[in-house]
Amino acid sequence: MIIAQDLHKQFKTRTGTVKAVSGVGFQAHDGQITGLLGPNGAGKTTTLRMLYTLMQPDSGHIEVDGIDPARDPMAVRRALGVLPDARGVYKRLTARENIAYFARLHGLSAQRTAERIAALSDALDMGEILDRQTEGFSQGQRTKTAIARALVHDPRNVILDEPTNGLDVMTTRAMRQFLFGLRDQGRCVIFSSHIMQEVAALCDRIVIIAKGQVVAAGTADELRAQTGQSSLEEAFVKVIGSEEGLEA
Amino acid sequence: MNALATIWTVLCKELRDISRDRRTLALTLLLGPLLFPAIILGMGMLAEKKARTQIEKELEVPTIGAERAPNLVSFLRTQGIRVVDAPEDLEQAIRDQRVEVGLEIGEEFAEAWHAGRPALVEVLVDRSQRNNDIPVGRVRGALEAYSSQVGALRLLARGVDPSVVQAVSPATRDVATDEARRGMLLSMILPYFLLITAFLGGAALVLDATAGERERQSLEPLLATPAGRGAIVSGKIAAACLLGLVSLLLSLLAIKLSAQMATGVARQMDVSALSIAKMLFVLLPMLLIGTSLLTLLAASAKSLKEAQSHMSWLMLLPMIPTLVLMVNPVKIQSWQFAVPFLAQNQMLLRVIRSEPVSASEWGIYLGCSLGLALLLWVGAVLRYRQEKLAIST
Repeated sequence: MIIAQDLHKQFKTRTGTVKAVSGVGFQAHDGQITGLLGPNGAGKTTTLRMLYTLMQPDSGHIEVDGIDPARDPMAVRRALGVLPDARGVYKRLTARENIAYFARLHGLSAQRTAERIAALSDALDMGEILDRQTEGFSQGQRTKTAIARALVHDPRNVILDEPTNGLDVMTTRAMRQFLFGLRDQGRCVIFSSHIMQEVAALCDRIVIIAKGQVVAAGTADELRAQTGQSSLEEAFVKVIGSEEGLEA
Repeated sequence: MNALATIWTVLCKELRDISRDRRTLALTLLLGPLLFPAIILGMGMLAEKKARTQIEKELEVPTIGAERAPNLVSFLRTQGIRVVDAPEDLEQAIRDQRVEVGLEIGEEFAEAWHAGRPALVEVLVDRSQRNNDIPVGRVRGALEAYSSQVGALRLLARGVDPSVVQAVSPATRDVATDEARRGMLLSMILPYFLLITAFLGGAALVLDATAGERERQSLEPLLATPAGRGAIVSGKIAAACLLGLVSLLLSLLAIKLSAQMATGVARQMDVSALSIAKMLFVLLPMLLIGTSLLTLLAASAKSLKEAQSHMSWLMLLPMIPTLVLMVNPVKIQSWQFAVPFLAQNQMLLRVIRSEPVSASEWGIYLGCSLGLALLLWVGAVLRYRQEKLAIST
């Protein structure tokens, strides 16, 4: 369970202060996939970075399984599996070594690591690539490695920043099944995307973010009802005020 | 998970990572060990060869007015110096380096000779050319020999023992200047190369593991793990130090071997096992200073390219004390053991020349250099704790 309340974050740049996030709040429940939907530059990645303790919010409150990351960031990191926007893997290591490295950083025993790698490799269909160096991996193979690495410690909460970015149709479908699997195991999954169809197909609850703020939230039905539109697409266009993000 | 376990995990991963990059690894580990013998042996051989050819080869000396002193010419001939006709403008020819050394026999030579007065013979030489030290020395030596030989004969003719005018019998060999120069060069160059090897020995790994990791976007996921940032950066520094240490050890062994094979001054270097161990110990803090400084710089750089561009001025840093000492040789004083690079330089020189280092000097040296290393390490850790660091885009 992840709770975000009224998060604010601004950056100082050479040209002035940029308000990346100004008032984002939502709840992501266990056993559900919560989708953060919004056009590029809406503040999704910054919001997620605050959730996984990489950035501290200027104001606002976060709770992950009841723990405040400002108080105990280590406990929060242990409770989270994170696929960040940046998902570089170590090119000279094999996929297995990449995953095992993170397992050891999480303090997993060698035996537990082997078990988890076997389980994740099954779930993500990585058998053939597991012992290859990741140099020359396709985008999909790299993403799989990065996801396995993020989930190696079997976290209750999973945060994925645009996980289907750059994947082909077949891999995207497989990824969806994998995410449904995570949900059905009772995990809390937060997932961000700028593609409406992606979110509509996957998410139990949708949080629409535009210009650093939550402009609408709820299930697909609730969103349609709130905006008085018959299709989710129309609802999306209405709340963000543009057609950005409709094209996959 | 405790910090030590994290450091160990990161250390192992970084070393495994670089071990798969064969070319970089080979360059890091083998450049020093190959370079040092080349310098020590190569330089020695070059200098010796030059000295030998210049000493043994028949020397042609263009001479103005050779016909005025036929006896001198034939004496020079016996000394391996052949007198030839001077070109049009001998002075200009010397300045142009077409001629190494020339002679001018004065017009009143014969007259002075017969009158028993000192007869003028001028050696023409361009003092700004170092190359002609040996030929000039040979010509001078021959002239002096001729002068004293004839002088002695004149004294004998007057019934005086020639040895009464020679209170002291000085003897110099020309080769000496060359040996000294080579020794000087070695004592300048060797500490510098050792310093560079220690200072930047882990550079390839540091750049790859900090700026490179950021550029390849694997830093953000790494920092999202519960591993402490201080421990992560310490692990990277430790890995770089270990690599630098191996490279240093190989270099020192190469120096030991080549010094034992070399001739001349290089032979006089103290390369016993104890001295090698001492040198390694002197260079250890430098290893830590170098890798920590580089980590700090590379972590602050926006790209791998920017981080690499730091290398050019970092390579000059260890050269500064060498240059200062070359221009302004100073007596070793205790404050010098507190100045980075200068301290290492002086310590290495002492060890190489097997001069003693006092306990207080060791104390100042280790205190200051380890203190600086610690400061840079803290800087690198703090840099890794900054929020901005993790954001690669």
